[in-house]
Amino acid sequence: MGRDNGKMIRTKDLTFWQKLYLPEVFKGLSLTLSQMFKPKFTYMYPEERFQPPSSFRGRPILVEENGVERCVACGLCSRVCPALAIEVQASETELEKERYPVRFEINMVRCIFCGFCEEVCPEEAIIMSKEYELVFSSQEEAIFGKERLLTPAEQVRERLEFLRNSR
Amino acid sequence: MATITINGTEFQVDAKSTIIEAARANGIHIPHFCWHPKLSVSGNCRMCLVEVEQMPKLLIACATQVADGMVVKTKSERVIQAQKAVMEFLLINHPLDCPICDEAGECKLQEYAYQYSVGYSRFEEDKVHKPKRVPLGPNVMLDVERCIMCSRCIRFSEEIAKQPVLTFTQRGTHVVLTTFPGSELDNPYSMNVIELCPVGALTSRDFRFKARVWEMAATESVCNGCARGCNMNIWTRNNEILRLTPRQNEEVNSSWMCDYGRLETFKHVNASERLSGPSVRVDRELRSIGWEETVSELASELRGFRKNEIAGIGSAYATNEDNFVFQRFIKEVLGSKHLDLLPHVIEQVEDDLLIKADRTPNSLGARNVGIEPSSGGLSASGIRNAINDGSIRALYVLEDDIAADPEWHSVLQKLRLLVVHSAVQNATTALAHVVLPASTYAEKHGTITNFQGRVQRLQPAVATSETDRRMDGLAASRWDKFSSKNDRWGRPVKFDARPSWRILVSVAAALGTRMKYNTAEDVFGEIANVVPVYRGMSFARIGSKGVLSKSSPVPVKT
Amino acid sequence: MDILIASTKIAVVLAAMLTSVVFLVLVERRMSAFIQNRIGPNRVGPYGLLQSVADVVKLLMKEDIVPAKANKPLHDLAPIISIAVAMTTFAVIPFGNAIELFGTTIKLQIADVNIGILYILAITSLGVYGLTLAGWSSNNKYSLLGGLRSSAQMISYELSMGLAIIGVILMAGTLRLDVIVEKQTEYLLGWLPAWNIFLQPVAFITFFIAAFAETNRLPFDLPEAEPELVGGFHTEYTGLKFGLFFLAEYMNMITASAIVVTLFLGGWHLPYADMLGLSGFALSILQVLTFCGKIVLVLLFFIAIRWTLPRFRYDQLMSLGWKVMLPLTLANALVTALILLAF
Ligand code: SF4
Ligand code: SF4
Ligand code: SF4
Ligand code: SF4
Repeated sequence: MGRDNGKMIRTKDLTFWQKLYLPEVFKGLSLTLSQMFKPKFTYMYPEERFQPPSSFRGRPILVEENGVERCVACGLCSRVCPALAIEVQASETELEKERYPVRFEINMVRCIFCGFCEEVCPEEAIIMSKEYELVFSSQEEAIFGKERLLTPAEQVRERLEFLRNSR
Repeated sequence: MATITINGTEFQVDAKSTIIEAARANGIHIPHFCWHPKLSVSGNCRMCLVEVEQMPKLLIACATQVADGMVVKTKSERVIQAQKAVMEFLLINHPLDCPICDEAGECKLQEYAYQYSVGYSRFEEDKVHKPKRVPLGPNVMLDVERCIMCSRCIRFSEEIAKQPVLTFTQRGTHVVLTTFPGSELDNPYSMNVIELCPVGALTSRDFRFKARVWEMAATESVCNGCARGCNMNIWTRNNEILRLTPRQNEEVNSSWMCDYGRLETFKHVNASERLSGPSVRVDRELRSIGWEETVSELASELRGFRKNEIAGIGSAYATNEDNFVFQRFIKEVLGSKHLDLLPHVIEQVEDDLLIKADRTPNSLGARNVGIEPSSGGLSASGIRNAINDGSIRALYVLEDDIAADPEWHSVLQKLRLLVVHSAVQNATTALAHVVLPASTYAEKHGTITNFQGRVQRLQPAVATSETDRRMDGLAASRWDKFSSKNDRWGRPVKFDARPSWRILVSVAAALGTRMKYNTAEDVFGEIANVVPVYRGMSFARIGSKGVLSKSSPVPVKT
Repeated sequence: MDILIASTKIAVVLAAMLTSVVFLVLVERRMSAFIQNRIGPNRVGPYGLLQSVADVVKLLMKEDIVPAKANKPLHDLAPIISIAVAMTTFAVIPFGNAIELFGTTIKLQIADVNIGILYILAITSLGVYGLTLAGWSSNNKYSLLGGLRSSAQMISYELSMGLAIIGVILMAGTLRLDVIVEKQTEYLLGWLPAWNIFLQPVAFITFFIAAFAETNRLPFDLPEAEPELVGGFHTEYTGLKFGLFFLAEYMNMITASAIVVTLFLGGWHLPYADMLGLSGFALSILQVLTFCGKIVLVLLFFIAIRWTLPRFRYDQLMSLGWKVMLPLTLANALVTALILLAF
């Protein structure tokens, strides 16, 4: 169907049999019925779990290296986050990178797993993990602080490599 | 007058001006680091190179005087090339770690890197490393690596603050900014170098690493540190004041502010000793009770005194509106003639730049709106004596810690009733029978009158428990706008305090007098009607820069 | 004695209906899942057999919410009307031939009414009150729209339904359902069962389509079209009352299938079964099972269609009803009548 001077024009004429509708219905039926015998995609969840590929965007985590976070509390992730999920409070340390987050909180109820934080981070400090099982019993519990976000770099090697390769 | 052509357009400009000034006066921006309109020209950053016809080389716009018929190009191919080159040189040794730097977001180098630079670095060698975190003085921290040697800080200290303690040592890429041995950058205006510094080399030791500039909301207000009333911005995040920065007003404070004003005039707003909710003394203890109960209890207490047993102490810290309603309250509602205020003057601190000996922001304003004894009434010292001999038994104090003065402290205990409006717990509230929590200058609308007679506006930057940042039109950052109760950052600390004039209106109502004010603007409208020196003024006319009233500066007596 | 027999029949039929609804829901969910390459509910009980039981328990435990501005009595009444109509329709359908038990011959039909078809048409059209009242009394615009749509839709398709049946009635010459089934046990040309599907193909197709519309099944589920109307007439229903609507919908499906089977697919007739030489009792049982089996096949067809055809647009629905179905059924009735006259 196309549009011309505001008038709808049928560009494809249906054949008599198609206009009769019933044969088409049976065609459709045979398709649906044949689907019934195709292999299923369902994971039998608690016993059988989805193992995401490294391109998967699970919950964001903070990379920990040599016992400290890579994050320098620049606040860019917090600024870019479309859902305002991230709150960063910077402070000063004696280490070479003089800035660090005293408080770093992601509200997992707000997060929409867009991965913008990962993309904007200049330190590759916040990255998307493979974790997708997020259950909370209260709003308060859904706010993840540093203790739940920090993950040693070795555990997220795959994602870090994926990011390097897809730069 | 001289006629010059900039980028193909002709302008009439002051013949004595430089190219950069002439361009600026006509809205044309020429990038620059070291030039500053308030400082001498040093011409060392080379960022302001422009092309002048008939001149073989590019000229620095900051140090070239205009001449009649001059043709200037600020965006020609050669100029752009030069700007790129200058930026490249500046960035050779500049650390490229803006995420760590505290200036990011309000950094001239960062902005120019986007506007005038090539966008990548060709420099592969090791950068020169220099000391970081060097305290220059009590309030300023230096990161030498980030310094681009513009010398603005040096010139400011010499020319404006008159404390020449800063200098460069070494040469070439090894230049280091430092103080002379044995000296410190500790003049009363030292923190102005923080804004002057175009990069993150100089930072405030108080504010450092506390917040990103884009996380905060700025509110135009006026400093309450002394009688000058420097124009300033109040920067808040999550309902907390994080820093104060000067706002340019040539009539009052030029572009500067003193360190005392920046550091000491806002901490009490979010302090833990802030009063929240009114309280009444029951059996020697202050008990918190609701506003309505407090007001009605206070009204019935006040009814128990004869007119000449009551006195009022106004406040040079409170706004014109508060003082105006206060004098009406004391004189008309309570019918007392005894009304005065206490001056707070420290002669030694006054200087020729900004700082005034009168440490209160509004003593002239308070006097103008009528804080003075009626004929036959007692002045401050008279009230003190009368309390001492027992003829005055009730005292109503507006926003002033009078008990901090030992002479007052000793007599206040003799009072049968001491009512205080105060934002924080202090010596006076410790003695008071009724304590009414007052909003601070950062939580309400109002006006104050500085020593010149200039009426300037205060605007709320911090919400109290009865105001809402969004609904009441306070400046709001993105965080303020989209917060919800489930966000930790969406639950700011708010104090239960009210502007003094509103408290007074409700006490007056409980005593049977209706004052028809709903907003601070209503009160000011009445002031503009009845106080001759403020005739015809309005909040709108005062605007962000203030209006000079015809009041003659009153000599403040000690 | 008669009363005893009648009430036993009612009890047996109702119990059978209710249990079959429970399993029908499960079958529909599992089949839908399979068509979509999923597995479907398989956790509650073996193969998920108890899933519907769990759902019923859940529905019973739920709070009954009535909107503040709703008309409470009507809001309560609507699901009752729906379920009552759904339950009573089955009364006239013969689910088997007669059976010999304890010496008495019992007709396998609850009510042997001589105007069975009229009864069905009359009762099913009452069902629309349930939906319309539900939509109106909820005081919710989506509910109201759903209710109105259902009444318009039901009225439009009832016409074609009735006219389609005329052909069948003309052939049988009676309104009695048992007789209509009886007639279909004959053989055409000596081998083809004289089912009305072969004699009245046009009537069969139009009736079947109308049955979809009458039961609000996809592709005609406009009264509750979720993408447009949230939930249509049952948007504001929760818990038990929602459960009743749900139950009524599935019962209607079963009843509609039963009617289709009775009118067009030979009812309880199993071709050539009488040649097996079974005892009368066994034959009766076999016939009842045949009837059930036919219903199951029609129901499976209902479900398969659900995942095959997209929902009609409302104007398409209406023009199909009035511009295609109605003339077609009219013509069919006319042609049938003429042929009968001629021979
Ligand atoms: S963007 Fe990266 S470095 Fe910056 S605050 Fe977020 S996690 Fe930390
Ligand atoms: S993934 Fe997106 S929504 Fe989630 S924290 Fe990062 S930026 Fe915010
Ligand atoms: S001074 Fe400016 S350019 Fe340099 S690191 Fe800081 S923000 Fe970046
Ligand atoms: S510290 Fe800042 S103001 Fe001072 S010379 Fe360096 S860049 Fe300029």
